Amino acid sequence: MKWLARRLPAGSLLFLMLAGMALVAFWAPDAWAQDAAGPVEYRSFPVVGSRVVVWVIAQLHLMFGAFVLAVPMFALTIEFIGFRNGDKRYDDLAHEFTRLLSVSFSFTASLGALLTFFLFILYPRLMEYLVSIFDWTFMLYACVFFLEAVFLYSYYYGWGKMPKWLHLLLGLGLNMVGIAIIFIADSWLTFMNSPNGIDAEGNLLSTWDAINNFTWMPINIHRLIANICFGGSIAAAYGAYKFLGAKTEEERAHYDWMGYMGNFIAIAALLPLPFAGYWLGREIYAFSQSLGIALMGGTFSWLFIIQAVLIGNLFLAANYYLWLSMERIHGAERYRKFTKWLLASITVCFIVWATPHSLVATVEEARAMGGSHHPILNVLGVMSAKNTAVNVLILTTYLSFLFYRRANKEATVSWAKTGNIVQFGILAAVVGVVIFLGVYGYFVEASVRIGLSIPQVGLVLFAMISITIIDVFMFRNARILGPIEWGKIPNRAQYALFFIAITFAWTMGLMGYVRSGIRQHWHVYGVMRDTSEHAFTPTLGYAANVVSVTVLIFFAFIAVVFFLSSLSGKKKIEAEGGASS
Amino acid sequence: MNILILLAACAGLLALRFVPKMNILGWLVGWWAATFVFLRWGINPPLPTSIQGMFLAILTLALLAYISANSVHFRFVLDRAVAFATEKKYTVALAVTLVLLPCLVALRVYFDITEGPAPPLSSRTIHPPPPVSIEVAGRMIDLVNDDNPYRALETEDPAAFAEHVANGRRVYYENCVYCHGDDMAGDGLFAHGYDPIPANFQDATTIAMLQEGYIFWRIAKGGPGLPSESTPWLSAMPAWENFLTEEEMWDVTLFLYDFTGHRPRAREDHGGGGDGH
Amino acid sequence: MMNALKICVFTVLVAAFYSYVSQMVPQKVTYPPEETELGADMTTEELVVAGEEIAGGKGTCLTCHTVSGDTGGRFPDLANIGLVAADRKEGFSDVEYLAESLYDPNEYIVEGFLPGMTPISDPPIDLNDEEILAVIAYLQSLGGVATVTLDTELRWQSEENSAAAAAASQAGAAAGPSAENLSGEELFAMYACGTCHSVTEPTPLLGPSLYNAGNDFSTAELYEAIMDPDAVVAEEFTAGLMSAQLNATGFYDKISSGQLKTLVDYLAMQKGGS
Repeated sequence: MKWLARRLPAGSLLFLMLAGMALVAFWAPDAWAQDAAGPVEYRSFPVVGSRVVVWVIAQLHLMFGAFVLAVPMFALTIEFIGFRNGDKRYDDLAHEFTRLLSVSFSFTASLGALLTFFLFILYPRLMEYLVSIFDWTFMLYACVFFLEAVFLYSYYYGWGKMPKWLHLLLGLGLNMVGIAIIFIADSWLTFMNSPNGIDAEGNLLSTWDAINNFTWMPINIHRLIANICFGGSIAAAYGAYKFLGAKTEEERAHYDWMGYMGNFIAIAALLPLPFAGYWLGREIYAFSQSLGIALMGGTFSWLFIIQAVLIGNLFLAANYYLWLSMERIHGAERYRKFTKWLLASITVCFIVWATPHSLVATVEEARAMGGSHHPILNVLGVMSAKNTAVNVLILTTYLSFLFYRRANKEATVSWAKTGNIVQFGILAAVVGVVIFLGVYGYFVEASVRIGLSIPQVGLVLFAMISITIIDVFMFRNARILGPIEWGKIPNRAQYALFFIAITFAWTMGLMGYVRSGIRQHWHVYGVMRDTSEHAFTPTLGYAANVVSVTVLIFFAFIAVVFFLSSLSGKKKIEAEGGASS
Repeated sequence: MNILILLAACAGLLALRFVPKMNILGWLVGWWAATFVFLRWGINPPLPTSIQGMFLAILTLALLAYISANSVHFRFVLDRAVAFATEKKYTVALAVTLVLLPCLVALRVYFDITEGPAPPLSSRTIHPPPPVSIEVAGRMIDLVNDDNPYRALETEDPAAFAEHVANGRRVYYENCVYCHGDDMAGDGLFAHGYDPIPANFQDATTIAMLQEGYIFWRIAKGGPGLPSESTPWLSAMPAWENFLTEEEMWDVTLFLYDFTGHRPRAREDHGGGGDGH
Repeated sequence: MMNALKICVFTVLVAAFYSYVSQMVPQKVTYPPEETELGADMTTEELVVAGEEIAGGKGTCLTCHTVSGDTGGRFPDLANIGLVAADRKEGFSDVEYLAESLYDPNEYIVEGFLPGMTPISDPPIDLNDEEILAVIAYLQSLGGVATVTLDTELRWQSEENSAAAAAASQAGAAAGPSAENLSGEELFAMYACGTCHSVTEPTPLLGPSLYNAGNDFSTAELYEAIMDPDAVVAEEFTAGLMSAQLNATGFYDKISSGQLKTLVDYLAMQKGGS
């Protein structure tokens, strides 16, 4: 078994590459024969078709890539916290997160290789064009990828074997290289959405302008934040998986804590994510109204209703986990009574967010409404209402965190009462103003309305920061009502963590689809048409099924990662056990 | 909004407070029923069933989260469920439930099948993405970069601008008013004969959130020029390029905004990237 | 192990739930806009494919012609046209013959058929020279071998011809709404109604004869028959044919209300040749 654990990453990589090559070679012999006839634009793939193959592999590669790039970010942060406060627990946790990396990195690389193969084989015309635009960046990418491997393995294997500052520095290098990788890869795909740096015929004018296109930075930022969410949620799922299988109380306590930390990271990163997404949408709109309307108002408007269901579920599950977590804290009973109000707020926001602009209605219903718009729901279906709902949703989740934070504490400072009133005042004022701005948005023109989202976001951030600061000072030297009993949490909380991880993965799949899908029948929007048989945009149901299958494959892979990681963990625990006995 | 129903639903919930020995399950059922009643009958015109279903599904999810987010509640509900399934005094109720559930499903299937033919549920895209450019009277108009050529007059030459608006007023009342109505609320004389009904320009979600080029496109190409995602219903809007000059169409666009007091969606300067296209 | 199984089932259930939610929203496939693009570097084989598309779509050839091998239709069957084209007309190669029958269809009428086809290069079908070459390639390939490329020159295509056509269509478009001064007869010819309807003979062609339209139909019926051809279709004629034809030629986009009135008035005057 140990041998297997050591060999499998490399072995699986080789196997996957061979399998991919064999697939292509033996399943599509006619595709090879065409080569002689002249330049080929597309080759076909049996059964599922070339589009679905590239789609699924790209999405899998992206998910693993996101995980591999995100884990070092928070592993390094946690390691640094442990280094500063000298708590060994944090260092161990960071190490345990990192342990998930090495296998995942191999998977990422194999999937990337597979994706490259398939792209060059199935879409030669497109790839030839992209290579002509981005020639040197591909070389750079290969070099950076190599560096990533060096940093990653030295960071992982060097744990505890070198001075801490050097190790932290390695981690920093790893993160820098990781960010470089995602930025380079983003430039290729954002170019396809919002091409830049080319003339009217599509010939290259400037590679830098092609890289620095309209959606490059928004996508970079959006993906960085989303990666942290995703990585955190997967790490939390690992904690949950270990928790459910734990045999001893210590193990349960440890993995409960790990799940909590992973989830904390995921949710903390989730809070700014809607704003980053909003910026991205705005840039798309600025690049081309057609693209913007296709995204928000056209065929894909229903996709955002599905997204609202996903994000609503995420927030609900995140809060649910926090409420359940409070059961392990003595003194949390005092905050029990607020649960229903928090839940009511989440439900109302969820409903507002998921209300579609144009409704599905039978003919009679539509007649009764006087058209395909409902006079009341119409108000909820637009951006103003949804932005407000998201902001309130974020504040609600923040409140849950706040209650969790003070669950077992009782303030001893003399101004505790005033502090509470001020905190509440800030919160109420901010919620009031955010809702007022949302309503005000109906009475002003569109460009002003878009601008209103900035003060809304600013106020929400202000509320979260100022209330946290007051809270920190108010609960200094607080009386502790009881310990946090890690491990004392119902199993369904762990399933909530799985739910969050699956929902994140699914959301990523769906958003990956829409980012690519808004190009519709273009490979490179407005420059190179998709003339293949797959140029049409499929139904959302079809896309959702592809996403579901992708997510299931991803979790099958992740199960292997978890299994292998726990194997190497066992060795360590056995060794420690042997040493102490 | 039907205030009476809303009040009744609230009163029902309030009454639950005074029920002795009210447990969590009773509250959940009460909330669910009150919301159902409100969504079903409390809103006028009635919500489409698809939306009612969605809202209730979200509510159900939230209520389930509520009972399971508290171990005391959760255990209580589990105990009740186990008791219901095992205890003697519930045997009759259990039997009735077990018989009734499949019957309800069967009834539902029966109704679904015997329902008369109805057009399929569908939604149309109200604002489909416009093409990059259109051809009007042999001239290409770039919808991405061209603005209303007379919009600039608003600041440069208010008198000339007023003339254009007045011309737009004439065009509107000669051609558009029959469907789009006297006050542009989409309720003209003919409006009720159409499906989809004419656009309501007073509404904040129509012209107020679109650029003038978009309005021009819709006027010039009308219903026949709508892309396929705006089907299945066919808009009866004529392609006005056959009846009006380009200037008249721009003028009436000016008038739409002037009359309703909306401002066209402004063009934004591109934030990132090098020089534009 | 039990836990792993439970987690697996849970994962599948959650994914299935989201798939289910996604089936609840409207399902619509968006196809790319259909246009047969003719690139300058297209090979003959590609031209054949494009030509087939044009023949079935914009060219509306298949409204009247069949490609089934059955003879006895109202218009010549095209199943073997590639084989027989070269022998049809003395001194004409197959390409020349096909070109003439597209540009100038009434110059040579196959024995046993009546003249009725409109010049394909003119409105309403209005194919350009490249598109006509693609159609020729397609026709050659029916029973024969396609030889034309986009560089093939035909004597029917001339600078003046295309320039004049462009100017005419522009003038038409510019004057569009106000060009109400065409007579009903001119409109009847311009929109190629005569392809299917005769006003001079009581014999039906593809559509009913309008020889006696003024007595057979009221004005309102004439309006309806034009604007919604499928509302009432006489028994022996195919429903959907006329609307398909008119849609394909863009009739409804082009005709103005004034023209429509002129046309209907003209038809209402057709009273048994009087």
